Amino acid sequence: MSVYGINKVCYLAQQDLNFREQLRREPEKALVGFPLSEDERRAFLKHDMAALYRLGAHSFLLSRLPRFESMGLSRAEYIKSMRTLLTDDERRALEARGQRS
Amino acid sequence: MAEIVGAFATPHMPGSPGLAKQNPESDTAQLFGAVRSHLREVDPDVLVVFDTDHFATFFYDNLPTFAVGVAERTSGPGTDDWPGLTCYYNDVPLSHDLGRHIHATGIDHGFDLTQSQEFTVDHSIIVPLHFLNAEDGRMKRPMVPVWVNGIAPPLPLAKRCYALGQMVRRAIDCWPSQLRVGIVASGAISGDIGGPKAIEGQPFAWPDEDWVTNVVERMRAGEIDELLNEATADRLRAAGNVSGEMLNWIALLGAVDGRRPRFLEPQLTGGNAYGAWRWD
Repeated sequence: MSVYGINKVCYLAQQDLNFREQLRREPEKALVGFPLSEDERRAFLKHDMAALYRLGAHSFLLSRLPRFESMGLSRAEYIKSMRTLLTDDERRALEARGQRS
Repeated sequence: MAEIVGAFATPHMPGSPGLAKQNPESDTAQLFGAVRSHLREVDPDVLVVFDTDHFATFFYDNLPTFAVGVAERTSGPGTDDWPGLTCYYNDVPLSHDLGRHIHATGIDHGFDLTQSQEFTVDHSIIVPLHFLNAEDGRMKRPMVPVWVNGIAPPLPLAKRCYALGQMVRRAIDCWPSQLRVGIVASGAISGDIGGPKAIEGQPFAWPDEDWVTNVVERMRAGEIDELLNEATADRLRAAGNVSGEMLNWIALLGAVDGRRPRFLEPQLTGGNAYGAWRWD
């Protein structure tokens, strides 16, 4: 519904240094005023990246969130959440590929 | 009349300027260096750069499928564009006249480009130009950015990007100026940033090596129709969320008019390739 709002938050996290800092320190306050549904707002605050992805957010833009520790999100949390989107076969293939390197 | 004298294609990994400085023997430094040597030998007066912006110059509020920069200068990358990016250029000269000419020629040929007269550019332009066009920390030749949306689906058709390259070639051919023009294409062949298959601890996934190998072989063999038919939206999506950057390579192929590359090397670990086409 409001995928634009999700992408816009990610966009501004890079473009606007004040917003970036506020999103890191006071995420609830930072997200006020964006066209987000309650589910989307909750997904940001609970670090549920998979939910934002399923709603249609662009993964390139989402990946900016752990870079700037937006909402306190770490890279490890980001990957863990995104990997819940993989099928078992995809997860096994990814693990096998990692061991080859 | 103006003429195209060479074409050059590289990826734009933000870490590569730093890596090349630290380790000049690295594959990445050597491959960028090889393309740079070709460009310096040909020594064009001006560059036309086919590029995919990464939501820095453009965003979903206003996101052109194809656009051309019509201005005197630019700078970039903007706000903290990417961690590890070690180069920033606050004065990147542009060829306003050639940009305006490409815009007008496009309209005349049924190619309705968006124009931008004020913009900054991101690492996808700065990194290739850092390697190919910088001398003593300054950009040597003016350039014209021609943007192709290779990141926000729906992407343009490959054959349409090829036609864009052909139109740019026609525009250069009919430009009443004795300038020697180089074409640059920026982008990976396969890449996925921030998707579910991201590698542990990294923002990116493993590249689609089969696709990179296939694209390089098609370009070496001059099998352009086959490549245009294979580079579908589904195939590009399967190769990763920034694999549409290879549409810049397709635009370059439209501009080189069937020529085979003088130099073309894949870099499978990064999903990349490096190429040079020469007229001499």
